[in-house]
Amino acid sequence: MSDKTPAVLVDQASKWYGEVIGINDVSLAIDGGVTGVLGPNGAGKSTLFKLLMGRLKPSQGSVRLFGVDPWTNTAPYRRVGYVSESERMYDWMTALDFVTTLARLHGMTREEATARAEHVLDFVGLSDVQNKELGKYSKGMRQRVKIAHALVHDPDLIILDEPLHGCDPIARTSIMNVIRELGSQGKTVIISSHILEEIERITEQIVILHNGRLLALGNLHAIRALLDKHPHRILLTCDDPRHLASEFISEDPVYGVRFPEEGKLEIQTNDLSAAHAILPRVIVDSGADVSAIENPDDNLESLLGYLIGGDS
Amino acid sequence: MDAKGRALSETVWTRLDRKAGAITELTIRQLRHRISTWVVLIVGALVMALLLAFYVDAIRDDFEPVDNDGDSVDWDNDGYPQGQENKYGTSDWDGQEYPGSGYYVMTGEVDWNDDSRSHSGNHTWEGQGYLDAEWVDLDYTGNRWSGLIDWGEVNPCPEGDVLDDWWPDWGEACTYDDGLYFVSGKFRASGSVNVPENGYMQWGHMTLESYVEPEPASMYIDEDGILWDGEDVSDLETIVEVDDDGDCLADMNDNNRNGIPCDVIWILDADGDEIIEIRADYNVNEDPEESKYLGESSHRTFIIGTGKMAFVMMLGIFIPLFLALGLVRDETENGTLHYLLSKPIHRAEFIIYRLLGYLLLAGTYILVLVLLMALVTSLIGPGDSLIRLSDFPVWLGIGLATVLVLAAYGALYNTLGLIAPKYGVYFCIILGIWEFIMGMFTMTLPSASVPMLSISHWALQLIDAIVLIAWPDTLQYTQIASAFGIDSGLPFFWQPPVHTLDTQSPVVALLVSITVLLLITVAMVGIGQASFKNREIM
Repeated sequence: MSDKTPAVLVDQASKWYGEVIGINDVSLAIDGGVTGVLGPNGAGKSTLFKLLMGRLKPSQGSVRLFGVDPWTNTAPYRRVGYVSESERMYDWMTALDFVTTLARLHGMTREEATARAEHVLDFVGLSDVQNKELGKYSKGMRQRVKIAHALVHDPDLIILDEPLHGCDPIARTSIMNVIRELGSQGKTVIISSHILEEIERITEQIVILHNGRLLALGNLHAIRALLDKHPHRILLTCDDPRHLASEFISEDPVYGVRFPEEGKLEIQTNDLSAAHAILPRVIVDSGADVSAIENPDDNLESLLGYLIGGDS
Repeated sequence: MDAKGRALSETVWTRLDRKAGAITELTIRQLRHRISTWVVLIVGALVMALLLAFYVDAIRDDFEPVDNDGDSVDWDNDGYPQGQENKYGTSDWDGQEYPGSGYYVMTGEVDWNDDSRSHSGNHTWEGQGYLDAEWVDLDYTGNRWSGLIDWGEVNPCPEGDVLDDWWPDWGEACTYDDGLYFVSGKFRASGSVNVPENGYMQWGHMTLESYVEPEPASMYIDEDGILWDGEDVSDLETIVEVDDDGDCLADMNDNNRNGIPCDVIWILDADGDEIIEIRADYNVNEDPEESKYLGESSHRTFIIGTGKMAFVMMLGIFIPLFLALGLVRDETENGTLHYLLSKPIHRAEFIIYRLLGYLLLAGTYILVLVLLMALVTSLIGPGDSLIRLSDFPVWLGIGLATVLVLAAYGALYNTLGLIAPKYGVYFCIILGIWEFIMGMFTMTLPSASVPMLSISHWALQLIDAIVLIAWPDTLQYTQIASAFGIDSGLPFFWQPPVHTLDTQSPVVALLVSITVLLLITVAMVGIGQASFKNREIM
C-alpha cells in the first residue's frame, strides 16, 4: 500500500445493542502482516469484524477501511476479502460455481471469474473437488471454500472470522498454511479465534479482546514471556508418578508437585521456559514412561486471567 | 445450464452490468432450486390448462339458439306461441283468445247510475241483471274473460233482494218461480235484461271466428336480430331499427324517450366509427342469433376474464407471495447475505438486481403462459380465418399487465419482508385479500375512487384499455348485451377504461395505467432500499 492510511483504523469505537455491549472504546490500527484477534466467545471479535465490514454502524467512534467509512461506502470491499462466521452456504452450488458467482460481483466477466475461482480453489487445495456440490463438503472444506471466495479478487486485506472453528486437524493445518502463505505474500490478514494455540501457530501479532474491551495489542511472545514468570502447571501422564516426582522436586524451577489423579503428575513452576528446558533430561534420567505432557495453563483463559490481573 | 444456454446467456449478459448479471442469475438459480417456486408455477399452469379445457369445451359446442325474449313459448296453452299472438293482437295469457278466435265488440251498457235500466235484444252479455229470456245459447264458449255462466247448473234464487240480502257468484245464474233468471257473468241470449240499481251490464257481439295456422315455436327464436354485422358501423347513425317480430309494435313503447316508439338509438363516438352507447325501446332487436353474437362475446369474455381473474388477480398475487417475499429477507435469515454484501455492491443496487432476477423468471413464465393461451384461443376461437391475430395483442397486453403487477407486488412484498421479516407474510396475505376485493370492485365499479388505492385496479384498467385498443367493438358487444338484455358475461368482466384523462382514448388509459404501476414499483423499491440501507445485519 502506497498510501499512509492503514488498512484498518478503529478509533475509539463502541458498539452496543441496547444494554448489551459489543465492543467498548476500541482503538487500533492494523496494516500488513497477519494479526490474530483473540478473545473468548462474546468478547466482541465478530462485532469488531462486522463494524469493519459495514454490517453494523458504530454507536460511537469511527471505523475506517483504507481510510473510508465502510458503513456508507462499499468501495473498500474491492480490496477486502471477508470470511464470515456463518456456516450457511448455497448447498446446491458447486464450489467452483459459488466462487465464480461471487467473483463476478467484483465486476469480472464470467471467464475471468472462472479462471480466478479455479486459481483460488487450487490455492486452498480444493481443485480436485471443485465440481462437487457444497452440500456434500465437510466442514473444513466449506471453510476453505469460504476463504477461497474471500481471496478471489486478490484483496489487500483479508478478514477471517473463526476460520478454524469446527475443523478437523488436517483442515486446520491446511487453513493455517494458507493464512501463513497470505501473510508472506505481504497481505494484511486479520484472523479471529478463541484458541490461543491456533493463533500462536500462525502469527505473533495479536489483539486480545475481552468483554468488548481491547485488553492487549502487540507481540504474543512478549506477552507470553510475562506469563512465563507466573505460577504454571505442567501435567505429565506416566506409569510411576511418585518416582518421577522425587526426581523433579530437586530441580530448581520446580517448587511443588501434586498427584491430581491416578497415573498423573502435576509439576508447579514459576518459570515455564526453564521448567520445559529441564523436562526432557529429568524424564530420561528417571527412566519413567511418560505418555503425555500437557500445559493446562497455556490457554487463552489463563492468559486473560493474567492480563486482567487476577490469578490463574 | 448446458453449454448452449450458457453461450446464449453470455451474449445477453455481457451487455448488462456484470454484477447485475451475476446477482440476477444467482437469484434465478436460487428460485429454481426451491420447491415452492415450482409448486406455484405448476399450479398456475394447471389452472390455465383447466380454464382452457372449459373454454375448448364451450367453444366446441355450437351455441344453442336461445329465445331471449321468451316469445316462442305458448304461455296460455292455446296452441299459438306468444310471438304469433303478439302479431294477431290476441292475449298471450288467455287460452280462450288466440289468433282466429274472434273477439268481443261492445255495443252498449247500463252503468250503475244510468236512469234507464233495461235493454232488449239478441246479444252477448256481460254483467248482472234479471233476464227474461226468449233464447239462451247454452253452448256459448267464445268469451274474453272468465265468468261464463254455467247453464247446466241453475238453482232457485234465494229469498230477499239481490245485491242487498244476497250476492250472486260470478259465472252463475239462478231462477225464480216465474221463469225469470238472475244472471251474473257472461252469456249469449235473446230477451230483455233489467239491471238492478248499482248493478252493471254490457252487451255486444263476437266477431267471426276463423282458423289461423299456428306457427312453429322455432320461428320465434333468434327472430329479431341486431342490424349490425360487427364490422362497419359508419352508416349506423341513420339506420332505423326494425322490430322484426312485431312484438314491440303490438305494445308500443318509447323506452329511450326520443318520441319514436319501437326504435333503437345508436350513439357513435366522435369519429363515427364506434358505437359507444345503445338505447333501445323494449322488444326491439331483443332476440339476436346466438351463434353470431354469443360466439364472439363468449370468446372475448373468456380471454378478458382469464386475463383479469387468473393472470392478474391469481398469478399476480400468489407468485410474488412465494417468490418475492423472501428475496432479500431469506438471505438475511440464512446468513448467506454476508457473501454478497462483502462484495463491492451497494445494498440498494442489490435489491434491484434481486427483483430483476425474480422478474425475469416470473416474467418469462407469464410470457410463455400467455403465448400458449393466445395460440389455443386464436386457433379455435370463432371466426373464418385460420388464426385470430387480433387475440395476440390482447393476450400480450394481459401479459404486460401481469408482469407490471408482478413487479409492483414483488417490490411491495420484498419491502414488507424487509421491514417486517417475521410478520411480513401476514401483511402480504392481508394485502392480497385487499387487492382481490379492490379488483372485484374495479370490475363492477371501475370509476369508484377507493379501488384506485390498489395495484390490481390499475392492472385491470390496463387490460380494459388494451382490449378496447385491440377490439374497439368490444364496447358495442357490451352495449348490445345490456341494451337488449342478452345474457353475457362481457359487461361484468369488461367495462371501458376510466383513466383516460377526459380524452376517451384507450391509449391514454393504457399509458396512465402503465405509468401508475411503474411508479408504485419504483416507490416500493425505494422504500425497501431506504429500509435496507440503514439496517444493521447481525
